[in-house]
Amino acid sequence: MKEVNYGFLRGNALSLAFGACFLATLAGQAFAGVADFNAQQVTDGLERVSLLDYVTSSSFAADVMENCQSEYLQFFLYVFATVWLVQKGSSESKEPGAEGVESEKEQRIGRHATEDSPRWARVGGWRTAVFSRSLGLVMGAFFLLTWAASAVSGWASYNGDQLAQRQDPVAFVGYLGEADFWNRSLQNWQSEMLAVGSMAVFSVYLRQRGSPESKLVGAGHADTGETG
Amino acid sequence: MSERKRPVVVAAGMGVTALVLAGCASASGADVSRVAAAFENRSVDAQTRCELLAPATLNSVAQSSPCEEEIAHLPLQGGPVRSVQVWGGNAQVKLGGDTVFLTRTDGGWRVTAALCQPRGEAPYDCQVDAP
Repeated sequence: MKEVNYGFLRGNALSLAFGACFLATLAGQAFAGVADFNAQQVTDGLERVSLLDYVTSSSFAADVMENCQSEYLQFFLYVFATVWLVQKGSSESKEPGAEGVESEKEQRIGRHATEDSPRWARVGGWRTAVFSRSLGLVMGAFFLLTWAASAVSGWASYNGDQLAQRQDPVAFVGYLGEADFWNRSLQNWQSEMLAVGSMAVFSVYLRQRGSPESKLVGAGHADTGETG
Repeated sequence: MSERKRPVVVAAGMGVTALVLAGCASASGADVSRVAAAFENRSVDAQTRCELLAPATLNSVAQSSPCEEEIAHLPLQGGPVRSVQVWGGNAQVKLGGDTVFLTRTDGGWRVTAALCQPRGEAPYDCQVDAP
């Protein structure tokens, strides 16, 4: 295929578009969240807060982080699961029989690397080992960091609610055993697992012409991993 | 900035942030303690103590007669501050003779509930409270 000379915007359109959508929806969440928070404040006989006070509060941080952590968990599990598990006929899967980390030749590492291979794919040793797993490791690290942030901000928000309701606050260790923490975590995790599972199955039988997430429109249902 | 100096700057930044947050928390704790102690102190004039009530709680106290009259009949015992908890815009102060709940308003910390008795995991039963 003839290589097209793309500028920065066109060459990064996907990430820029989703980045913009993220910022827009985050702003929308802030406005909807402060309205919801202030409705509860009035119910509890307390003063309303400003938008600035709300977006710097533990309540907003907890609501943002609980969603972020589940997204990174989803991709962390997805990246690793697709190494070892297959879904026959899915565009999200490797061919049955190709399970595992594959050979160095197939992965173009070490002496099988090409001129445009990243340096850490060529040098071998621990650098190649780390680089070979860097996508999953970073997703996993971001999951742990955002889950920790969700736990801390959720704890602060929970204790603020406890006091508003004339109840004692709890210690951090106590909060990790509270239904509030696990409800926030598990309600997000279930939807992520459902989404990935759905995509794995839907992509067997359904098509989206032109998308690399879909098989070719004319590809058979039994064809695995043949994307558009 | 050189590669060697960057980790030091980041660590210093985190340390300063932690100190600022600790300072802010302790400043809020001092304000909360002062308001709770003043509200419970029977030697402070009644009008000043009424002004320390959050609006919804003030309306509840002053339902049948002015707050200054009602507050004189409340068995507020005060005592030394035993513990302070500040979480966001809400706080709790446990004094020798009472547990007081407060909220942050535009005019500073205000008492939302007092004369509160614990009931295990259930909310405190407070004689002074918003409806």
